[in-house]
Amino acid sequence: MELAWYALLGLFFATYLVLGGYDYGVGLALAGDADPRRRRTALNAVGPFFLGNEVWLVAAVGILFGAFPLLEGELLAGFYPAVLGALAGVILVTAGVQLRSRPARERIRARWDRVVVVGSALAALGWGALLAGLLQGVPLHADGHVAGLGHLFTPFAAAAALATVALVAVHGAAFLALRLPAADAAGAARLTRRLVPVALAAVGAATVLGLLSDRVRAAVQRPALGVLLPVALVAALLVARAALHRRRPGLAFAATSVALALPVALVGAALWPFVLVSTVDPGASLTVADAAASEPTLRLLGWLVLPLAPALLGFQLMCWWVFRGRIDGRAPVYW
Amino acid sequence: MDTLLLARLQFATTTSIHFLFVVVTLGLVTLLVGIQTAWVVTGNPKYERLTRFWGQLYVINYVLGIATGIVMEFQFGLNWSGLSRYVGNVFGAPLAIETLVAFFLESTFLGMWIFGWHRLRRGVHLALLWGVALTAYASAFWIMVANSWLQNPVGYEVRDGIAHLTDFPALLTNPSLGMAFGHVVSAALLVGGMLMAAVSAYHLIRRTPDFALFRASLRIGLVTAALAITLVQGFGFAQFGPVGAVQPTKFGSGADADALIAEWTARFGPGDYTPPVLANVGLGFMILIGLGLGALWLLLPLLWRDWVIRLRFPLWLLLLGLPLPFVAVILGWIAREVGRQPWVAYGLLPVDQAVSPVAAPVMLASLIGFSLLLGTLAVTNWTLIARHAARGADDPALGRPPGHPADLRPEPAFA
Repeated sequence: MELAWYALLGLFFATYLVLGGYDYGVGLALAGDADPRRRRTALNAVGPFFLGNEVWLVAAVGILFGAFPLLEGELLAGFYPAVLGALAGVILVTAGVQLRSRPARERIRARWDRVVVVGSALAALGWGALLAGLLQGVPLHADGHVAGLGHLFTPFAAAAALATVALVAVHGAAFLALRLPAADAAGAARLTRRLVPVALAAVGAATVLGLLSDRVRAAVQRPALGVLLPVALVAALLVARAALHRRRPGLAFAATSVALALPVALVGAALWPFVLVSTVDPGASLTVADAAASEPTLRLLGWLVLPLAPALLGFQLMCWWVFRGRIDGRAPVYW
Repeated sequence: MDTLLLARLQFATTTSIHFLFVVVTLGLVTLLVGIQTAWVVTGNPKYERLTRFWGQLYVINYVLGIATGIVMEFQFGLNWSGLSRYVGNVFGAPLAIETLVAFFLESTFLGMWIFGWHRLRRGVHLALLWGVALTAYASAFWIMVANSWLQNPVGYEVRDGIAHLTDFPALLTNPSLGMAFGHVVSAALLVGGMLMAAVSAYHLIRRTPDFALFRASLRIGLVTAALAITLVQGFGFAQFGPVGAVQPTKFGSGADADALIAEWTARFGPGDYTPPVLANVGLGFMILIGLGLGALWLLLPLLWRDWVIRLRFPLWLLLLGLPLPFVAVILGWIAREVGRQPWVAYGLLPVDQAVSPVAAPVMLASLIGFSLLLGTLAVTNWTLIARHAARGADDPALGRPPGHPADLRPEPAFA
């Protein structure tokens, strides 16, 4: 029962990283484009999906609160700086994207676009640092509380946060290569292929720092899965690059999506049966089973969520289906 | 300053800003459903223009509703980890249900609604707005279930110091839920109606060429607001009985309150178990505003032969009265939330046990940072709403046909 809920939590958060990830990647891409028309086209390529993407985060936190209340408190409060950064980023992006085209003046729109760029970077940094923080363990004491915040500021967490920014940037560019009008898509594909080596370098740096870190080596319960993570990331990035070379943007986007979803699954699996590994007192580590809500709560949520899951997914699929394909001159423009 | 006070200030700030936006969201979406349904049924282009104009204001307003809502959701874990630790088994359930059952779909539908003009069949497009509205109400309901549980914890038992869910239906029949939900929903309708009437009044005062359009929305807004204020008053006064019964200390002292305080002193040790007076001062002002707004009924007869427009002063009254319902809803929430102090969950979990063990400087940085961020965004958002409201219904970006020159217009070089 706990495992099922843990998997569902991971599924929602991973889907958020994939879907929200291309929002932020497109947001980062705005920084490199001086042409107002192209910036607006990029945002409207995300257009109809934008609101449906970030709901996966809200739902993931909802599941976290409902099914893992103990974890919710310690995770969010224990990683305060990372969560604060990610949260500020999410808010800046959500406000920036939706409001940027309401003023008519191009200069003000450009200012909003900078807000989106900063927000996208903050969100990617924050979530990357959070995942790294889980891998390197936390100073969880026997009283059940995480002490202090300094534990988060390590070279590994910084490198992982930067690697997440790079992955998100590749992912967003791959999304644009898939969705922009044919004339603009070539530029996006070039950008993706140019970003892949950067992402490879960032993933490599994070891997080396992770392997060197005593805390990561001690916290990871299944080293094989821990090593598989960077290998899979590198493979996904190379597939994306090769796919774009062969003009298969769909495959490239699938590969970058895998690159964003995998870290969630592998971090969860590598720490299992724990979710928060204590660096100070092995006995204080929090297992998934201990973190879960009690039986009646999980059963209630199960009865409510199971029948609804097809509807949630169905309406998202409807959105993807209705607005599938490349945007063109007939696509609605609102953002 | 201590962490507890800072965390409470942050909660108060975020919640207040959040509610100022969601109350408009809930009210406007109800009116929009009516207007768009009228458009689809009658095919009258006036209703299409009304849907686009009010829909645009609704969508701008929605942005800050989400932004502040996300902060609220995270804040429980960031600042109130004791809440999830001790009562998360019960309190977390309605919040999880709200995100999955309501908000998830609401936002998905709204994204399709915004981009679905000229692309989806009219019936499907209308159904999406109905979906947005229904899930918005569901969202309000589950949030009120969660909040009512904090006011009056029910359906649980404490084992090893942690609350476990025993009776979920009890959460839905909580005495502090029913009337409060009706009160909040009718307050949202009041705010939506007043906003519609006030913006229309502004255009009628300025004699904007769109007379027929704003005459229509003035009538819709005014009638809605008048009906809603009566419901607000009814549900409001009906609350005193059930709420006073389950929270004797909320509305001042009495024999019940003294007995309860004596019981708490025996169980939790000596302490100050009375809420600050601030709560009831605000309540008094809110009731004054609520009774004053009852005067909306006096304007209804003036709808006959458009006297409400011809006399002009009623238009000014509607325009200048717009801040009143906003002030009232905030005062109402202060009365409800400050009135449960010093408890997070009334009689079960004191606030000082619920706050996260975070250092005060970190909490202060978070308070200042998020207050500035959300405050700035809120003011920017209201400015945008006001500008779009003042610009009129000529050509809102929402629902503009694709390939329209306004989307492609280059910036004038001298601007």
